[in-house]
Amino acid sequence: MHLTRAEEGTLAGEEGLSRQKAMELLVALGDIYGARRLIPVASAQVSGASFKTIGDAGISWLEEIAAEATVSVPAMVNPLGLDMRRWRSMGLTAEFHSKQARIVKAYDSMGLLPVYSCTPYLAGHRPRRGQHVAWAESSATVFANSVAGARTNREGGPSALAAAIIGKTAEYGLHLEENRVPRVLVKLKSVSEEHIPIAGYLTGKAAGNRIPMVAGLEMTDDQHKSFGAAVAATGAVSMYAFDRHGTESMRARRTYEERIVIDASDIRRCTEELSGDDDWDLVSIGCPHCSVRELKSMAAKLKGKKRKGEEDVWFCTSRKAYAACPEAVSVLRRFGKVLCDTCMVVAPIEEIYARTATNSGKAMVYLPTLGKQKASFRTTDQLLEAISR
Amino acid sequence: MGGSARGKAMVCPAPLSFLGGVDPSSGKILDPDCAVHGSTVRGKILCFPYGRGSTVGSYAIYQLRLNGKAPAAIVNRSAEPIIATGAIMSDIPMVDNVDTSLIMNGDSVVVEASSGTVELKGVRERHVVTSILRNGAKMLLLRRSEEVGSYQRQWAGVSGFIEEGETDIYAARREIAEEVGLIATKPTKHISPESFRNGDTVWTVHAFLFDVATRRISTDWEHDEYKWIRPDELAQYNTVPGLGVVAKRLLDESIP
Repeated sequence: MHLTRAEEGTLAGEEGLSRQKAMELLVALGDIYGARRLIPVASAQVSGASFKTIGDAGISWLEEIAAEATVSVPAMVNPLGLDMRRWRSMGLTAEFHSKQARIVKAYDSMGLLPVYSCTPYLAGHRPRRGQHVAWAESSATVFANSVAGARTNREGGPSALAAAIIGKTAEYGLHLEENRVPRVLVKLKSVSEEHIPIAGYLTGKAAGNRIPMVAGLEMTDDQHKSFGAAVAATGAVSMYAFDRHGTESMRARRTYEERIVIDASDIRRCTEELSGDDDWDLVSIGCPHCSVRELKSMAAKLKGKKRKGEEDVWFCTSRKAYAACPEAVSVLRRFGKVLCDTCMVVAPIEEIYARTATNSGKAMVYLPTLGKQKASFRTTDQLLEAISR
Repeated sequence: MGGSARGKAMVCPAPLSFLGGVDPSSGKILDPDCAVHGSTVRGKILCFPYGRGSTVGSYAIYQLRLNGKAPAAIVNRSAEPIIATGAIMSDIPMVDNVDTSLIMNGDSVVVEASSGTVELKGVRERHVVTSILRNGAKMLLLRRSEEVGSYQRQWAGVSGFIEEGETDIYAARREIAEEVGLIATKPTKHISPESFRNGDTVWTVHAFLFDVATRRISTDWEHDEYKWIRPDELAQYNTVPGLGVVAKRLLDESIP
């Protein structure tokens, strides 16, 4: 890989050990992927923020690098393992909280933005079309590439932090136009709005590591958020193209390696397979984090109703969205906990619950694995009906 | 990545996950797919084809270092981001693009990460040629006699050492002339060399396919029997190491 003289200096340790390490990481990854150079990024988004996922080793590494380094571009932190203000109500231990607090402190001292959300693009950090960024969270990455039209690979936690510190990333993968070409056509036929997460779940499976062109469904940004999160969870791909408001690489008419149709019967079958049972400890909504619009819409449906059922309920959102709609939040709080900074995927849910229902296609991938849950998929309305009367 | 290290090799033939595959407190390999299951990686030159598993694996490598159980170096056939990230976080020298199947457990290894080289002490590399002669649908197998220095009574192609100053194609033609009495001209196909480890020797095989016009050959003292067989019969014969791999690559038209 070609490095400028300044980059060579950083690599040689002229700017200290932390920046040297960060540069070593970027260069090593660039070499693995055959990048020709480093390119500036407009922002970074750093995963690996929950104590549950990075453990004691993660704390030590962050504290080691934080001793010297600061970020040189706006950098947002992914969700934590708990709500920093209301963690006691989640039933978590003081020990977990104190470990989590060390991670928060390390990120703070490096100057990262305490967004603690997988939806930074809804919290004032939406990248511009064509902009290069270094984002790590899979659902945010797929939104940045597919909907915002920015360019990012799915960075690992440490490499996104390295990119934030240096302000650059290696130019490979989805940073390059030729790798942003859809190779498989996924035609969605008569998919209802409430089954969009399932459509994403099936699209990711069908696409594998190929960028799909998704046709046949118009989606709002919120719907893209749920759809893309599921695509990135079941597929090994951080981008899809779609036939409205398309990204730039779709203009050319293409021939596809494969054409796949996902119709109502596929959706029905998959929904049944993921339906689990009716016995839950927790109803969890907000993977990815709920938008203001989603919080308001759920509040409108629940307003005037009474709470039903024994299970706990989590509405997960960003601190920014929470603050933007206090009335909706106060309605939702009669039905469950409105949690910020965290979600059912990265919180140590297995220490609290064993059976969880969710409306999220992405969470249906991670709840049974990372969360050790017996997971049940329901649509948003079905979940709201289950907890209200 | 810089740094150098020396130590004894620990070789995992299968892809390794550090998350769950290696115990962070003892450094022992837990992965049952790994032949060295139960041994500690501490201070070893840890060799495996490539990493697998979740991105948290980078932190698992760092945890090994914190616990003083890290390997002295990592050698991979192909580097991937999880292992490379963990190695940099943990200051572990790492070299990739190395055929880890040529390294044996207990080899004394010197790793130079800055130049990307791995040296195996006491192991020498020998370059040999092997030619598959084909006539119609059949290929020639020769059985090595009891007079030869290695692999006696095993079936082989037309093979021999590449002598000092010889090119591989020259050596291939010379061996064909000496061993079966044919004049070979242009090879139908040749493939990039294949290496095999046997004891203290790495055999690097330069292989050629020649189409010949006759099945009438005359063997010399090095062989006591020959047969023209269909390629799919090869598995029934006790062949020299690697012949099957080389023959498959030479005869499969979909492999360039």
